[in-house]
Amino acid sequence: MANWIPLWMHKLGSPPIFYRFAGVLRPWMIALALLTGIIALYGGLVLAPADYQQGDAYRIIFIHVPSAWMSLFIYGVMAVASFIALVWRLKLAEIVAMESAPIGAAFTFITLVTGSLWGKPMWGTWWTWDARLTSELVLLFLYLGVIGLYHSFEDRRQGARAAAFLAIIGIINVPIVHFSVNWWNTLHQGSTVRILGPSKMSGNMIWPLLTMMAATKFYYIASLFGRVRTDLLAMESGKDWVRQIAEKEAAR
Amino acid sequence: MSRPTLSGACAAMLRRDLTLAWRRRGDIAMPVLYALIVATLFPFALGPENALLERIAGGVVLVTVLLAMLLALDAMFRSDIEDGSLEQLVLAPQPLATLLAMKILAHWITTALPLIVVAPLLAGMLHLPAQVMPVLVLSLLLATPLLSLLGAILVALTAGTRRSGMLLALMLLPLCVPVVIFAAGAVAAAQQGLPWLAPIAWLGAALALALVLAPLACAAALRIALDA
Repeated sequence: MANWIPLWMHKLGSPPIFYRFAGVLRPWMIALALLTGIIALYGGLVLAPADYQQGDAYRIIFIHVPSAWMSLFIYGVMAVASFIALVWRLKLAEIVAMESAPIGAAFTFITLVTGSLWGKPMWGTWWTWDARLTSELVLLFLYLGVIGLYHSFEDRRQGARAAAFLAIIGIINVPIVHFSVNWWNTLHQGSTVRILGPSKMSGNMIWPLLTMMAATKFYYIASLFGRVRTDLLAMESGKDWVRQIAEKEAAR
Repeated sequence: MSRPTLSGACAAMLRRDLTLAWRRRGDIAMPVLYALIVATLFPFALGPENALLERIAGGVVLVTVLLAMLLALDAMFRSDIEDGSLEQLVLAPQPLATLLAMKILAHWITTALPLIVVAPLLAGMLHLPAQVMPVLVLSLLLATPLLSLLGAILVALTAGTRRSGMLLALMLLPLCVPVVIFAAGAVAAAQQGLPWLAPIAWLGAALALALVLAPLACAAALRIALDA
């Protein structure tokens, strides 16, 4: 039986190996994010036709919707990494969970800002206490709570474990955000993109959206890898492999 | 040396916490005074129109009670951490979750119960109709234990840190949003003469779930925080 997959996963959990792995992969992720991002923006802002109802204003969804997806996706990643961190006490999982939080908070913030920019011409208001808007705001508070708790401990690993626990408790909000438009019939429009079954959107509008979704994923990975690498150096400072890197950098 | 039974340990725990609270009776009055002051600020800020105050009374009382509880939450484990008795509690042969449930119960009796007692007074000051009062008290009776249980988990998480007051608010707020929505929803429905049992049932269901899970989560959180 091929047991190289668990072996490889196991090795990847070790800080120096992940540091090198992330360093190799990161430039590719940045390149992919830029490439797919530019294609998606061109497709969304130039090629896609204007909406019959909303005109050109709808184009903000090419930023808004992928950010909203990412705000939930990153919370999921953070919660899974938190679970791994608490159960198996993997140092790397703690770092991945904690470094995901600021990126997720940024995407949540972008979602709220672009949403209100779109809301002003379309709904005539910047903000309304609609179920989805409110639950997205609560998601931002959850992210900020996790970040705040992480930084309030003097011992980083202890802080990471406490914040990971909070992240897991907070996951109950994720389905609320996701299903809020189906559960409460409020101002926010229902979902138009479906994974199962045909989407309610025309093809030349949906491919830029899906491409942008890929771009945000690549950006997230690139950003996460950069943050994790920095964090690993800080956390492992004094270890031999960090000293070797420092000496190599100093000799350059 | 014989080991005390679980019920014996629980009773001792409850008696100890209540005695400690009773010895510092002034501290019990603080959340009540705080709630009273915050509630009186609203007519000053919004103007003393009866119709307006009547409409917001239920929500104001709920938020005021929540804020007062938030202030009191911070002290839930503090003296026990300072004198080291929390570590003894963790080392005790009885299950930590059960003992913590007793601590949460004692905390609820000393902080939330006085607030529930004065809540009709606050609501009356804001001209909440008398026939809505029972619904308000009922929703508070279900909502405050939920807040105590949720808050206990978060307080336990911050037990290892020194500055936790503001952070506690940031962490508790997202988690208590559904509690506030359902509790205020019940009061609002009763005020409009609509059926109010559904939100109360939701609160009850959430409370049943929290009663089972929150002490376990609280124990886990405390173990993480004291792990240093």
